[in-house]
Amino acid sequence: MKTPRISRETLAVLERFVDRPLEWRYGYELSRETRLKSGTLYPILMRLEKHALLEARWVTTENGVPPRHTYRLTPNGLEFARNALAEPAAKRPLIQQPALSRG
Amino acid sequence: MLETAIRVAPQDTRDWGEGMRAEMAYMEGHWAAVMWAVGGASVMVKEALAALLVPSLRGRGVVPDGGLFAKDASLRKAALTGGAICALASLLFLATPPFRQGFQVAMQPWYHFIQLATRDYDAPLERLARRAESRHDAEALAFCAVRLSKPGQSARWAQEAVSLDPNLLWIYAVIEARHPNSPEVRPWIPKLELWDGKNALIPLIKAQSMVRDEFHYNVYAPPSREMDAAWRAQMQAAFDAPKFDDYLDRVAELNRRVIPRYRFDDPYGLVLHQVEIQTWVEDSSERFAKIILNAGDDLESRADRKGALEKYWQVGRFGELLDSQGRTGFEHWLGTYLQSMAYKRLQAHYEKQGDAGQASHFGYLVKKFDPISGENSRFAGEAALGYSTAARNAAVVEISGLMIIVSLGLALAGAAILISAKLRPQRPAAEESKPVATVVVLASTIALLFSAATLYLTYRPYWYMFQRAIQNGGQSQTDDLRLLLLSAETLPGLSPRVYFWLHSLLYSGSPTFLFYFWTGVTLFSVIGLLLILSRHFLGRPPSGGLPHSPRVP
Repeated sequence: MKTPRISRETLAVLERFVDRPLEWRYGYELSRETRLKSGTLYPILMRLEKHALLEARWVTTENGVPPRHTYRLTPNGLEFARNALAEPAAKRPLIQQPALSRG
Repeated sequence: MLETAIRVAPQDTRDWGEGMRAEMAYMEGHWAAVMWAVGGASVMVKEALAALLVPSLRGRGVVPDGGLFAKDASLRKAALTGGAICALASLLFLATPPFRQGFQVAMQPWYHFIQLATRDYDAPLERLARRAESRHDAEALAFCAVRLSKPGQSARWAQEAVSLDPNLLWIYAVIEARHPNSPEVRPWIPKLELWDGKNALIPLIKAQSMVRDEFHYNVYAPPSREMDAAWRAQMQAAFDAPKFDDYLDRVAELNRRVIPRYRFDDPYGLVLHQVEIQTWVEDSSERFAKIILNAGDDLESRADRKGALEKYWQVGRFGELLDSQGRTGFEHWLGTYLQSMAYKRLQAHYEKQGDAGQASHFGYLVKKFDPISGENSRFAGEAALGYSTAARNAAVVEISGLMIIVSLGLALAGAAILISAKLRPQRPAAEESKPVATVVVLASTIALLFSAATLYLTYRPYWYMFQRAIQNGGQSQTDDLRLLLLSAETLPGLSPRVYFWLHSLLYSGSPTFLFYFWTGVTLFSVIGLLLILSRHFLGRPPSGGLPHSPRVP
């Protein structure tokens, strides 16, 4: 069966997770690091979660501060990400136009 | 905005929306938060649409072979499927004759600005005549001959038609009535006098052919005494004739037979430039009627009441003849007008005689046959729908036609970008352009379908008028259609003054100006297209890129 291509935006997100595989990541933090807008980032996260490659949870940080949604790759997701990132760089498209959500 | 979007999203995606909303509290800067909220809202709305259109998209798990996106129907595919359905449905309208004719009418005002000359209404007739000549079809040649605006060619076709079928001799009268001063048609007058000598139309045509100048009264050159006498003799013969036949019922029969045979569906050729008696008949008839009435006044002043009454009644009888035996609204109006002139004289005559009863009777007839406000007035409203309705419908038809063109262009452009992105996925702009192109394709195909439906529904009643015109002979059913066609000759929303200013600006100049104008338009369009394509295919220069991640063996 033909292997579908993974978008370069998805690879960028997977790359961030693989860098710190055990850490729960915030959405805004991922957006700043990958330079993807919310409209691009969250569909990727939602799709990963639907395929059980990503897990999500609510985390309460400080007293009185609203909880935040955090994300981390599952073991399956980590394996998948490493395999995907192991592809030769020449076959992977570069991100030419980083989206931004600057503060 | 984000909260509203979360409310409309499916239940299983609301957590994600809440997650995006929670992040806004940690953002630095209002603008960043606004952009974040816009992106989040768009995600929620897309999920809501996806759940609405394709419920099976939700809740997909990992496929057994581990492919992340294998067999995963995306929102984009749903949108493109919807777009394809809309485009296909729009194409179905092309199969309907009302839509095709309506689209032709919708493109009419643009014709003046795209072509280097005004529309040639004779072109469809010339094409039809060539086919008729190859088939030796006398009726089709006659159909074209009576409609063509060029008298020379019209005469040639008429002669060919009559040579094939001598029963079509009457078309000479129709053509002569349209072009009475044309030298090509004058030799036919003796034949018509022999064939239908009792018809008032023949001496009317003969009288008009004697006039030196072919234009109407406002540039009419006064005739010589001999010519004036000859003209008066012919007009007297017309006023004394026992019948009036404009042969338009025979023209209607030609329509019924030829139009379906050749599928001639040009509404302008049939309705807007239909065969009818020309205004010179009014000029000649009115002028001679005044001569007779003045002669009657002269007789009355000399106490010859009987002679005066005969003169007045002569005009009244001719008006009654036109009114009762004419087929067109113009002929009825002219007959009414002449009767009104006669009855005014008669009213005045009986008032002088002290006959109040007769005077009152003719006073009533004067009001009844008043050309402006009387029962038979052509201004009493012949069209069922009226001018304002026709103008509005014409604008709707024109705008719908324009929207069809624009939507089709956008849909093709979006499809071209998507195909290009699929064929060259390694291009930097390929992925980024897909969402925008998908939206463009979907929106434009929906607009295409809506515009096509609007054009079809708006023009369909006029299509039926066109069909009735063919069946019934053209006149009484076509006033609304004619008003629509006239209204559709100018661009919608443009006042006639601005339209004709633009038109004169484009066409009053030399051909060189026109050439450079359209060359400039074409060049700028091509340059713009090349810029768009180069930007799309070449993409923008690469940015600093992401730091390389550690490779995991």
